[in-house]
Amino acid sequence: MFPMPLRSQNLPGVGTKYEFSTEKGDTVAIFFTKTGTVQMYTLQQGCNTPSAAEMTPLEARRLGNILTGAIIEADQDSVDIAFSALADLRITLHTYIIPASIAGKTIEDLQIRAKTGATVIAISRHSMNIINPPASFVFEGGDAALVIGETDQLKNLEREISVD
Amino acid sequence: MEGIVLALFICLVLALISKYLSVPAIPFYILAGVVLGKAGLGLVASDEISHFFSQMGLIFLLFFMGLGLKIDRIVANRSAVLTSGIIDLNVNMIIGFAASYLLGFTLIESLIVAAAFYVSSTAMALTSLIDNRKLMMKEADTIIWLMVFEDLVMIIFLAIISAGDQNLIIFAVKILFVLGILYTLAHYGKEFLIAILDRDDELPILFTFAAVLTTASFSMYLGVPETMMVIALGAAFATTDPDAFEQHARPFKDVFLVVFFVFFGVTINLSGGADWFVIGVICILAILSKLISGVLTGIFIHHSALSGLEIWGNTIGRGEFSIALAVLYGSPLVGTTIAAMVIVTSIVGAFMAKYATFLRRGIVGLGRRSAPPRRVHTKH
Repeated sequence: MFPMPLRSQNLPGVGTKYEFSTEKGDTVAIFFTKTGTVQMYTLQQGCNTPSAAEMTPLEARRLGNILTGAIIEADQDSVDIAFSALADLRITLHTYIIPASIAGKTIEDLQIRAKTGATVIAISRHSMNIINPPASFVFEGGDAALVIGETDQLKNLEREISVD
Repeated sequence: MEGIVLALFICLVLALISKYLSVPAIPFYILAGVVLGKAGLGLVASDEISHFFSQMGLIFLLFFMGLGLKIDRIVANRSAVLTSGIIDLNVNMIIGFAASYLLGFTLIESLIVAAAFYVSSTAMALTSLIDNRKLMMKEADTIIWLMVFEDLVMIIFLAIISAGDQNLIIFAVKILFVLGILYTLAHYGKEFLIAILDRDDELPILFTFAAVLTTASFSMYLGVPETMMVIALGAAFATTDPDAFEQHARPFKDVFLVVFFVFFGVTINLSGGADWFVIGVICILAILSKLISGVLTGIFIHHSALSGLEIWGNTIGRGEFSIALAVLYGSPLVGTTIAAMVIVTSIVGAFMAKYATFLRRGIVGLGRRSAPPRRVHTKH
């Protein structure tokens, strides 16, 4: 639902323009230019000169993700997702390489969920993916396990079951 | 052949520099041509190959002009487009024509100079709006539509002048006939065309190239000049998927146009003597007359003379179309004059487009001391 009308316009030779006014009277305009860049202008109410930012398509998508409420922060092997709409719920996805010390054990043996609260949601073994492994799943050394949970739960996991 | 390679290499370096400084590259291409060619070091001479490449550049420029033709959109936007378009046309054509006629050009030469004097560079204006982040200004819309209008006037002008000695009515009938055929083909072949354009192999680009060249080569059978043929083709294709055609024709246009500009510079010959007084007057007037038309447009459309400064800054640069006119119909003297005008106006234009906003703020700032602040931005 858009409370304020969103105007779109095709500008010959330039690209497509989207513009709308906010409830407070500010104006936001986005231009998808033919050169492939995205320009965003904001004009504060009563102000005369807009300020502008030019973005690559990738940067524009990141901005879009932030605005839609799904902030994704990725580091080497973990992704942090925050849902601002769900009372700032933050969830982390982390990959772990299974060490030889726990090879041969099942998820049930290790009592991962009961002890740490984290859940194994996928295993990658020899470039094959196993989604939602059953509790009877037997780990092998070198498996990559994708685990989901809150940051604390993942810390527990790292402490309780010495994976890295 | 070595000449083209040398010229292209120098243009590549110049293009890099101009992008880095964010100024238009066209004046540098022409200057490079002048330095390398007859008027300068004499390192590069035009030959059959360069002539063919230049011709391709011109043909693709005109094909793009046809693709961008949006009569329906102009009609839909009529009042604003017409007001600014007619002010711009009258002021600049009249000043350009009167000045060149008084400076001693013949009647026909004066018409060519006036048209080249009138038509701003669409490429430069749009690039400067994007690069200087001015798309949101209310003047940006006016400028964009002004460019569309100028292109339309240019097409009509080219049609009239390319009729030459032919009877205008017969010529118009021929053009309408060509247009009719191409539109019919585009209309009934629309699905076929779109299917071709959608492929990801070499077919779309090959088809675009072949269609433009084939159409151009038909001109000799019909007595309609190549220029009109490719514009008509562009206009017909614009009814199918103009964006896809632009995408596939752009590489040809970009490369061949550079050759076109640089070899236009190469063929400039100053040994016959250049009248620097005439050139100087035309250049200065070219800048001033756009100021007059810009301020008038600002007053009529935005109720603000200061808006006109912004319009002026972005429309000073003359470019591709002025050179096309010089190449197609200009005598050597006209060519030299237009070349100088393009070089001067595009450099001044790039500078003014960047600083028009500061200039405008400076003037507003000075005015504030005596007058109450104006409400500049109004919502519509």
